[in-house]
Amino acid sequence: MRRELALTLRAPVTWAVAALSAFLIGHGFVLAVDLYSASSRSALLSQLQMREMDPLAGIVHPTLGGLDLAISVLVPLIAVRALAVEKERRTFGALCLQTGSAQRIVVKKFLASLAATAPMLACPALLGVAFIASGGKLDVIESGVALLGEGLHLLLIVAIGTLAAAWTRTLAQAATLALVLSLSAWAIDASDGFAALAWLGGASSWSVERQLAPFQRGVLSLGSLAWLLIAVTGSLGLAFVGVQFRVSRRRRGLLGATICIAVALILSHATGWRRAHDWSEARRQSLPPAAVAGLRALHQPIAIELYLDRDDSRRKQVESDVLAKLLLARPEIAIRTPLDEDRTRAEAQRDDAYGRIIVRVGSRSRETRSTSRREIVTLLFEAASLELPNWGQPLYPGYPAVIAGRNRALLLIFAYAALPLSLLALGFLLTRRRIMR
Amino acid sequence: MTELGALQVRSLGVTARSRRLLAGVSFDALPGEIMCVVGPNGAGKSTLLELLVGLRLPSEGSIALAGKPLSRFADFARAFAVLPAFVELAPEMTVGALVEHSLAHAPRPEGLVTRLRLALGVESLSQQPAGTLSRGEAQRVQLFCTLAQSKPIVVLDEPFAAFDPLQLREVLPAVEAIAGAGAIIIAAIHQLADAEKIADRILILDNGRALAWGSLEALRQRSALPKASLEQLFVALLSERTHAP
Repeated sequence: MRRELALTLRAPVTWAVAALSAFLIGHGFVLAVDLYSASSRSALLSQLQMREMDPLAGIVHPTLGGLDLAISVLVPLIAVRALAVEKERRTFGALCLQTGSAQRIVVKKFLASLAATAPMLACPALLGVAFIASGGKLDVIESGVALLGEGLHLLLIVAIGTLAAAWTRTLAQAATLALVLSLSAWAIDASDGFAALAWLGGASSWSVERQLAPFQRGVLSLGSLAWLLIAVTGSLGLAFVGVQFRVSRRRRGLLGATICIAVALILSHATGWRRAHDWSEARRQSLPPAAVAGLRALHQPIAIELYLDRDDSRRKQVESDVLAKLLLARPEIAIRTPLDEDRTRAEAQRDDAYGRIIVRVGSRSRETRSTSRREIVTLLFEAASLELPNWGQPLYPGYPAVIAGRNRALLLIFAYAALPLSLLALGFLLTRRRIMR
Repeated sequence: MTELGALQVRSLGVTARSRRLLAGVSFDALPGEIMCVVGPNGAGKSTLLELLVGLRLPSEGSIALAGKPLSRFADFARAFAVLPAFVELAPEMTVGALVEHSLAHAPRPEGLVTRLRLALGVESLSQQPAGTLSRGEAQRVQLFCTLAQSKPIVVLDEPFAAFDPLQLREVLPAVEAIAGAGAIIIAAIHQLADAEKIADRILILDNGRALAWGSLEALRQRSALPKASLEQLFVALLSERTHAP
């Protein structure tokens, strides 16, 4: 591993990318702190509003947004490098002969690329510590779950970078392919609000962001975890095929296509794995405990039909606020979105029927057009001929924090200068030997 | 070194995108022998070496070591160490780290490694970052890293191109020492004078086919040019082929 680590950690580009990422993450953090402080000022005047001050949504999520951008756009450049430079320098074949296995080299390159990109994960963690030191409050567990999500994202992009380097000959080819693969996940997300990409809407289950969404709420989704780990394994499997020397090009292509199809099938299946654990403080991502217990006590199957278009904001609200919480209580709930299944029918049904939400418990059903969480859960219990259980939720106190004056100035210096410059200085220390004579 | 035995190459050929790059190349090489592959540009020298070491899949033919056919990549990895042409050393590493890495995987006996170190002068370079070496220095380091691996066959593509005549006088004995220890050395060499100095047997390739194969003496006899240099033989054989009906 020493050679692999030297190639990645002693490359100036590794540290330049780390410093740029630190700056991006720091910028997201500073904007979040300012906005959070402004909201906190008014929240401090009202007990009710204080409860809305959620550092996970207000600080951690926007800070990780910068990391997400860095992982999608900058990490592919580092991830491909470890393997691609060996090919470009014509040392890859000799290295494989020396160690006896091309696959072993791929694994080492993958691990070295992970080591080179790991400092990016440390940036939001350090900024979180700085926020706490400035008087803010973060819940370690829910913030850790959110960071774990980005860690898995990083793992996936590094695996994709390794795959790209395995199937190409030069660094430029590998970087281009890795960026295209990384940004295609973005294109799927962008299709939500961009008419020109609307045709990608059907691929939304392939969105990496969609898999990361539960983590960002402090929810450890086993299905998303499995989805991301399967995608990583599939990418590495494809990379193994890409570096085979004793297999013809046609056979390699067939093997690669077979792996792609197998992984696609498993991933499609994995989107149906919905078991998740709410690790947010005061379980605030879940329904009230009595409602959860009541839903779990229902023995009949539950189904929900949404007659709302994919790009309708009401549907997004139902998905994130109602369905996500219902699925935490009953992961096996059947959810149907008939308008997604038939576009022509969707056009025809944009009439009086549009906007209906039908809940079924066993053979009984109820219908509403409200997207209110309480309304939909009440209808579920009504359909089961039961009353809505106690709707009381454990108290989440909220954590307003006004970071101003000297503390804000220190945070700014830390986020914009100290963190990126420390990474540059570390990079200089590690890379200076290559320019000494 | 895992196996000592003759290398047998039979009817080796490869076609890429409907173009015949190499066809029907056969030869044997014995332990302790230095075989040089010569030929004009585009003759297929590098392609032959890539096929030999298992980095490219042949369309036809077989390669066997000590009578055992080589088919899996692991078989080739046990048999061959290779120095490809135009290799760039990792500028992120020092020479010392590169040398250490090459010795981490089954090195040759200590005495032989020390002899190689002295002959190729890598000791004095060990603190140097690899990216700051001159072309000749870099090639000496590469050669050391390849020759120091305890493999029965060492394949070198244009190993001497970066050396001046004085450097070559130090480098050639190092290669001969490895052959003397029982390894087979196969080197593609563009400079025919260099090949003549070191080769026990010579394979002349032209247009992807073996034009001649044997010792310098055997090639002289075949061409009826008893005192000819390798360069004269090479020119004679190529013109013979060009003028053949």
